[in-house]
Amino acid sequence: MSEAKAMSDKTRKIILGVLWALVAGFAVFAIQILFWGLGYTDMNNVFTWGNWIIGDLGLVALGGGAFFTGFFLYIFRVDKLEPIINSTVLIGFMCYLFTFVFLLFDLGQPLRCWFGFAYPNWGDGLLPTSMLTEVFFCLSLYFCILFVELIPIALTNKWAEKFPVLKAIGHYMHKLMWIMAAAGTFLSFFHQGSLGGGMWDVLYGKAVWFREHHQLFFIAIIAATAGGTSFMTLCPFVAGKVMNKEVMPKETYWTLTKISGVMFVIYTTVRIWDVYTMTTKFVPSFDRNYLDLWGGYYGIWLLVLEFLLLLSPVIFLNIKKFRETEKFMAIGIVSGVLAIVVSKISVLLHGFSAPNFPWRKFAAYNPTIQEWFVTLGVFALMILIYIAFVKWFKLFPHLEHSEEDH
Amino acid sequence: MTRRWGMAIDLDKCNGCGQCSIACSQENNMPIFKDDSDVPKRVAFLDLMKVTNDRDAEYPNVNVAYIPKMCQQCEGNDPNNPVPPCVSVCPAVATDVGDDGVVSQIWSRCIGCRYCQVACPYEARVFNWWKPKYEESFKKSLNPDVSIASRGTVVKCTFCSHLWKQERDKAVAKGELDINAVTYTPACVATCPTNAMVFGDLNDPKSEISRLSKDKRAFRLVHTIDDKSPEEQKKLKATRNYPSPKVYYLSSKQWVKDMMKFK
Repeated sequence: MSEAKAMSDKTRKIILGVLWALVAGFAVFAIQILFWGLGYTDMNNVFTWGNWIIGDLGLVALGGGAFFTGFFLYIFRVDKLEPIINSTVLIGFMCYLFTFVFLLFDLGQPLRCWFGFAYPNWGDGLLPTSMLTEVFFCLSLYFCILFVELIPIALTNKWAEKFPVLKAIGHYMHKLMWIMAAAGTFLSFFHQGSLGGGMWDVLYGKAVWFREHHQLFFIAIIAATAGGTSFMTLCPFVAGKVMNKEVMPKETYWTLTKISGVMFVIYTTVRIWDVYTMTTKFVPSFDRNYLDLWGGYYGIWLLVLEFLLLLSPVIFLNIKKFRETEKFMAIGIVSGVLAIVVSKISVLLHGFSAPNFPWRKFAAYNPTIQEWFVTLGVFALMILIYIAFVKWFKLFPHLEHSEEDH
Repeated sequence: MTRRWGMAIDLDKCNGCGQCSIACSQENNMPIFKDDSDVPKRVAFLDLMKVTNDRDAEYPNVNVAYIPKMCQQCEGNDPNNPVPPCVSVCPAVATDVGDDGVVSQIWSRCIGCRYCQVACPYEARVFNWWKPKYEESFKKSLNPDVSIASRGTVVKCTFCSHLWKQERDKAVAKGELDINAVTYTPACVATCPTNAMVFGDLNDPKSEISRLSKDKRAFRLVHTIDDKSPEEQKKLKATRNYPSPKVYYLSSKQWVKDMMKFK
């Protein structure tokens, strides 16, 4: 780690103040939205979804790093990932928790959210008919798994360590975590695909989203494994910078970013193929032109930006020399995370803006203050919870080892 | 024989008076808000769309047509196994397609996720963004046969299927037990002053709607696959579903038909 100065007390207070202000705003506007409805948003009958679904898609894809890291650690026994697993589980847990929060806000009838379980759209076979039904079930089950995975971490604080029973429970749960990791991988595989891709590619009436054979479903899974692993590296990396401490061994970062780099190569390849099939096959089946679908405020630059951002993880995370240089690794993971976020933004903004009738213009969406505060408040809350876990729990076991060594 | 309800709208006869929209709103208890000029958030099943050949043209070169647009009651490729784009996506089975081909929606089952709205290529579904309000005397004119939707639910045109139920109830009272014995007329069709709208059973080859659906002037809203040869259509339909609406539009003007294609 470089010898950067630790953040001053004043800066720390300002940042914490801003985060709490956002959380306070979230609380106020959450009440307004839940009690007085979605009329206070800029969503409408054309631009049906907005900020919060972008948040959902982004959080779930980036939180997907938790299942993929767990999969490598517990199933493939890549022990170098051990120091980062606590952090990934916490981030995964928060990403899923707040995905639920966003989804709840997006429901016109939040009190009827249990209808998704009580009256699921299963159809005749074993597979659900509605992709949202799959999201309901897989997301909830995987959230339960993340909750169980979080228990051993929650039992690592000083208070819990006073009780030998709790310590023993935490220890043995940790030993059995591979079962959870296996189940989590299975479930994650489905909902990553359904929320990120399957939900969109089944919409056969819409030229912007439709693809055959659940093409986007599988691409979304790859996106989550690529972007998620980068995000899981980014969070402790930023924490280490802020604390000016080595929170993770360098080898851990290198191992995870190596996995991420390979996944980004696969993602970029399939994404190019996706754009190619959209251009030559799917969009023409609607008698429309792929490039014409991009327009208005959210033009082709979103697609160009996504591919430009994909360049750095593909290069920097796959060449050992760059990967093991902190600056390039940081650029690689930040660009990787941004590329996945941009791809989700583009699914939403570009998807809804494209006109359904030839005589209509491209639609625009300008989120209201309520939508911004709910969105940013959620992110602020996630950062605050992460800070709390760093402070009171053993989120970075390596940190304690290195401090003991000193 | 089961019914397969469909509609034909003659755009050559439609003068854009908007009676259909008003009758629909009255029949289906649509709320009225202070600012209903906020079109994208308005709650109305029937939207009267104005299309013009050229926005900047001046008289006499400018042509205008009004397209009444409600739920197009899509059925997918196969009328015997209807798969409208909006039905399969609902996570709570709040929307379904009946034997009569009408896509229904149960307001009280809807959780308001709006996924069906996302799936609909015709923007035919509307969401109650605000709590529906009915001012003073307006409450007295509410239709008891159509339930009032809550805030935060998706609602849509059902071809006034409650009127069919009324007709069936009347027939049952007279001893007629065949569910398909009677026909009916939705509010928008009944009120049209120029007889531009025709409603009926597409399964009945003798019905006027069957005849009109095969008319040379007939086309379906932004459904360009209809213009292709039968062989090409068969090939395309083998790869994926097409919405295949049951609402037909008729126009003798080529520019109106040309408007249905994305340039």
